[in-house]
Amino acid sequence: MSEQVQFLLDNLPNLLFGFPGNRPGGLLITIFLTVVANSLGFVIALGLGFVSESNKRPLRWLARLYIEIFRGIPVLLLVLLTFQLIGNGRRWGLSLTPLFSAFVALTLYSSAYQAEIIKSGLRSVPVPLVESARLLGYPPLLTFRRLKIPYTVRLMLPALTGQTISLFKDTSVVLIIGVADLMTTARIILGSDVGNAPYWVGLYLMVGACYFAVAFTLSRIAYWIEAQTQSGDLIHAVGNY
Amino acid sequence: MNFDWLSPELARLLLGGFWVTIFLTAVTTLLAFLIGVAVGGMRLSKRSILQLFATVYIEIFRNIPALVIIIFFAFAVPNLFPIEQRQAIFFDNALADGLKALTGLSLPYYAIAALAGITFNASAYIAELFRAGVKSLPQNTVDVAQTLGATEREVYRRILRPHGVKAAFPAMSTRFIHTMKNTALASFVTVPEFFMVTQTAITRSFQAIQLLLLATAVYLFLAFAFSALLQQIDRRLI
Repeated sequence: MSEQVQFLLDNLPNLLFGFPGNRPGGLLITIFLTVVANSLGFVIALGLGFVSESNKRPLRWLARLYIEIFRGIPVLLLVLLTFQLIGNGRRWGLSLTPLFSAFVALTLYSSAYQAEIIKSGLRSVPVPLVESARLLGYPPLLTFRRLKIPYTVRLMLPALTGQTISLFKDTSVVLIIGVADLMTTARIILGSDVGNAPYWVGLYLMVGACYFAVAFTLSRIAYWIEAQTQSGDLIHAVGNY
Repeated sequence: MNFDWLSPELARLLLGGFWVTIFLTAVTTLLAFLIGVAVGGMRLSKRSILQLFATVYIEIFRNIPALVIIIFFAFAVPNLFPIEQRQAIFFDNALADGLKALTGLSLPYYAIAALAGITFNASAYIAELFRAGVKSLPQNTVDVAQTLGATEREVYRRILRPHGVKAAFPAMSTRFIHTMKNTALASFVTVPEFFMVTQTAITRSFQAIQLLLLATAVYLFLAFAFSALLQQIDRRLI
């Protein structure tokens, strides 16, 4: 038993920050992936939200197509496909690591989900408000930026937090391309050593606990925001993270 | 594009994986629905022990990635046993042989582990959605039923459960489609579902991008078909 505890304690820093002397990994990279992919995804989603309200039909269709494709396929498949398309090595003056592919894939994935949330949020903007702004001569982009988004962002915040939690857990699939996140680090620690067999259960319980700690904290924050903003009609969006 | 590499053998492999994915989706969806509604009901129960169990179940399985749960059941749990017994308990017994003969899978335990992992994960979501659905029902229907002399159990069975499911079904459908996509995670534990056989086909034909695009098309088709099916169920049955 004490060996178990010793093994887990020895490896806890590795799970959290990656192996000493190597590039950062573990939970740190998992969080980093989530934050970057989520933020970039939000910017793209704003664009998609704007385009999907455009009066040009082909543009709307393109936005629709984008959202449906990236929402319709498993994130695991998207990660592997992106890695195959981008490849490994140096190109265009960039060093293309699996981490880069993971960023691209997760950004595409989260942007589609966030766009869907933004689209449903935009429906809650009162039409007279938009019309009066347009009458006063606001161009569409300015109306979108100055009026619609500030109006809805508070309503969308719980759902967007929920989506962040979902993305945080989905980053675990980057195991397939060997990005050194929490999941991959656990796999490396255990390795193919048969002597490590007794530690599997303990280590994976600890990995689960790491994910749980972050996701659970975030979900409490989401519920707290929801209680603050009283956006009860979006409760399904929160419950569905 | 050139499809010369698609030999009949590879096509058969891919088609087999397609059916395994559909089978996994059907079983996990059904189980997740039943378990989810049961656990969601416990969460609403007035007995604190049931409530506590349901809360712990929901929070654990909702906040840990499905992949961790699947790998835990498939690879970690057998390691609890000494190597001589492990074989007999998990892989080499009458039940496993029976399942092998029935399904044609070489390692049925891994398929069960993946099924369990995905089901636990999905059922926690369904439970929470079901609870939200019940909470959204107007209080006066319950009051009327209670005034007419219905017991609490009857109110739950006849009113809260069916109408709660009805109210939550659109949100549940989203989760079911998510579950369908999550079946791809079973490939990590060597279950030959569609994503796994796609990878096998890649190692045989080296047509990675074409095969992955094919998989994209197949999953998109499955997502659309499944969502159409769920809409029909919503309209006709519930």
